[in-house]
Amino acid sequence: MDFTLNITFYVYIAAIVAYVVREVWRAKTLRWIAFGVFTGAFVLNTILVLTRWFEAHHAPMSDKYESFVFFAFTIAGVYLIMELVTIFIARVHESRLGIVGALQSLLAGWMLYSAMHTDSTIKELPPALQSNWLVVHVINYFVSYSALSISFTSAIVYLIYRAIYRGRAQEIVMSGSESQLRKDVTFDKLAYISVTIGFPFLTVGLITGSIWAKGAWGTYWGWDPKETWSLISWLVYLSYLHLPMILPKTKIKKTFAPILLSIVLLIAFPIVLFTFMGMHKLPTASDSDHIYAE
Amino acid sequence: MTKAANPQNKKVRNDSKSWQFLCSVKLAVIIIIILAVACILGTVILQMRPPEDYVNRYGEGLATFFSAIQLTDIFHSYWFSFLLVLLCVNLGCCTVKRWRNTVLQIGFLVTHISIIMILVGCVIDMMLGEKGGVNVYEGKSVDYYLNRADYRKIPLDFKVYCDDFIIERHPPKYKLLTFVKNKELEKFIPAKVGNKIKIPGSNYAVTVKDHYPDAELRAEPINTSNEPNNPAIYVQMLESNHVTAEGWLLAKNRNWYNDPKRDLKIEYLWADNDAAYEKLAKAAGKIAKPTLDVVIEGKNISRSMPVEVGKSISIDGTDYVVEIKQLALDYAKRDLPVNEQSSDNPAVRVEINGPQGKETRWTFSKYPDYWDKAHQAKYKDVKLTCYVPDNFSQTSSSLRIVQNKEGKQTLSYLSNGKLVSTTDWEIDKSYDIEKTGLQMRILKYFPSHSIKKEVVERSGNHEGHNHGPGEHVGTPAIFVEIEGPRGTVADWMLANNPPRWYPDKNFALLYEQSGMAIKDYKSILRVVEGGKTVMTKIIEVNDPLKYKGYVFYQSSYDPEGERYTGLQVTRNPGLIVVYSGFILLCIGVVFIFYVKPFLRRKLKKGQKVEDYYSDDEIAAEHIE
Repeated sequence: MDFTLNITFYVYIAAIVAYVVREVWRAKTLRWIAFGVFTGAFVLNTILVLTRWFEAHHAPMSDKYESFVFFAFTIAGVYLIMELVTIFIARVHESRLGIVGALQSLLAGWMLYSAMHTDSTIKELPPALQSNWLVVHVINYFVSYSALSISFTSAIVYLIYRAIYRGRAQEIVMSGSESQLRKDVTFDKLAYISVTIGFPFLTVGLITGSIWAKGAWGTYWGWDPKETWSLISWLVYLSYLHLPMILPKTKIKKTFAPILLSIVLLIAFPIVLFTFMGMHKLPTASDSDHIYAE
Repeated sequence: MTKAANPQNKKVRNDSKSWQFLCSVKLAVIIIIILAVACILGTVILQMRPPEDYVNRYGEGLATFFSAIQLTDIFHSYWFSFLLVLLCVNLGCCTVKRWRNTVLQIGFLVTHISIIMILVGCVIDMMLGEKGGVNVYEGKSVDYYLNRADYRKIPLDFKVYCDDFIIERHPPKYKLLTFVKNKELEKFIPAKVGNKIKIPGSNYAVTVKDHYPDAELRAEPINTSNEPNNPAIYVQMLESNHVTAEGWLLAKNRNWYNDPKRDLKIEYLWADNDAAYEKLAKAAGKIAKPTLDVVIEGKNISRSMPVEVGKSISIDGTDYVVEIKQLALDYAKRDLPVNEQSSDNPAVRVEINGPQGKETRWTFSKYPDYWDKAHQAKYKDVKLTCYVPDNFSQTSSSLRIVQNKEGKQTLSYLSNGKLVSTTDWEIDKSYDIEKTGLQMRILKYFPSHSIKKEVVERSGNHEGHNHGPGEHVGTPAIFVEIEGPRGTVADWMLANNPPRWYPDKNFALLYEQSGMAIKDYKSILRVVEGGKTVMTKIIEVNDPLKYKGYVFYQSSYDPEGERYTGLQVTRNPGLIVVYSGFILLCIGVVFIFYVKPFLRRKLKKGQKVEDYYSDDEIAAEHIE
């Protein structure tokens, strides 16, 4: 188990390198090599999840270690599906997705690194977690987090591009312009799409959590810190989705609007991560009923 | 018609900026952001604590400020409720204003209406819902519960019985802890058969090589040398050739055995020289008798008397009369006849007669202070101590097995303190004990007796283990090899035994149970209405009982002794509204982001796909 975990971690590191190389050279074969390495890491990660499921006799999402491994698994899975969609269906961004791939494998690697430094002994599920809602709720959340992580990395990439091409803001933002640069720098759109992919899962995760809480504790909403923070992240992404409607009506410049939206995403994803693993840092955490991810 | 309608329409459109603002997205976004900030505050600032907590934590000034703007209970504050109401109104107005009967609008309508439904449902629950808890003792019933907010008793028009409360546990788990002393390093390693595990930061390595799921420590007597360092014999008592008792007698440890039924005591005595041998084998036995010492503090009076039941003495110079009422060789079995008790915890019951009446005390020979510490004495100046010799017995006959270095070995039978006969004995021969009809046989003689402890696998039946079927609880053992600076050592380790140290006393292994995790809490509940049982259900966490709109959740239990179950009681009349809102919200969100984009593409066939989404499309998402 430990051995597979280490190997998977190093394959993720290799994927980072492969994607960076692919981003620099942009050759078609390199694209498939990078994709292949990342897929390899994903397959190993799947083995990790499945063996854990088999060994622990419960869905492997209940403690800190299992959450880290499972999160890495969904990060890789969601990204790979997205890359396949861009290559075969949407046929856009084919060669420029590499940098996002590198950042996503970095994120997955980070999760596995955290898992390597977490107690991996199999613990029995406490009574409250013995529910089928666990699987539905957690899978929804991790798929959503993975999609939202893509929006985060795309926002970073977009801001970097904007910083590099500071003087050509008009060219990048104006619609209808046929410039290659504009096509290269559409990472704000990618971020938006990722949010639209992740947000429904976030909503379903929030709602299933609420229904589960009703069954287990008798209240569908109790302002528990974890509940509150999952609501906060939902509200932040909700405002992100509504912002494009009001920005054209404000005094904010059209060239600045995508930057503002990217900054919102930059704030939003750390909130998500904090909801996932920062709850014990809150002064109100002692009142919390679910610190299971700690 | 149109002419009449138009001005009105125009009037509505223009009539107020406030209406415009009330249905604007801008307001929605502002509310959402304020709500998010309020939520953050609600988890950063402690909520619903007593006022002094805030003063201690944040200081006088901030505490006053917090309570003034209701930051100490944000989620129930007026301004938070106002924000939610405003959000509701905003959503309502927005929905009305943008209502279009088109397919693409479905998502927008459904999501916005569903959020209003969820909020309305919550308000219904807050106004009309009930929430509380009640503890039900096993076998008892309740027809009320306590309101959560003010602990008012709220009656139910039915009774809820708790027939049983059960805590289910997982089978125990075992862990292997390693400890490097000079580095204060503790590390858990898997207690499973596997490869060599190096302990990081040290030069020790541990390999678990074998595992017994159920093992025990078997103590086996062995002989270590022919020098009589610790002589021991294995003796069998027989009655018409059936073994009635057998066991080891150790000359230097427990050297006697009492057979109360047959009024016989067996002793094994070792003599170092011939003189002592003669004395032990031939002399009439005199056993020390128990004595009671009475000391009167402050008067320098001390008396000693043999313990004979019924005997009493009056203490000269005082008004006390001390009477011995009872002698017990084992206090725990003091109600049995004395000769059936073995000398475990000898005690004497004494009655003191004095000016203030009678006082009864037990005096323990092994724990002289116990009674005085645990009880209030009437006569505090009277101190009692008793002495009961270890090998004291009331048997009238005794058998002495005497042995010495030179190989002399005899059997002496004494009756009522007088020597009746002596016989030389040999290993493995039966000897009749005078007229008792009993035989005795000495099977083994170990001059240097020692106990070898060994871990062996327990097999097959486990009669007498205190557990139900299917929850077999054995004690596992592992065979561990430790490599270190002093070479390799290997041995069996039985779980829950003291740590095993490596020869250099710097490295230790501890193999122990890591607690039994709780599997589930269950209560068997029965609802009785009008004298009839209308419902029975085993509730557990995640599976409550529902009756007449009330829901009973398993929420706590009696931490000492599991005598009662703690139920949470709720009634949520708004739940159906909330849940409908939940379902609609899910459907709506999925529609907006997963169905609508494809639907729109389909509706606007022929457009070239250039980006994932064009700016126009993103805008169209919302305004269409």
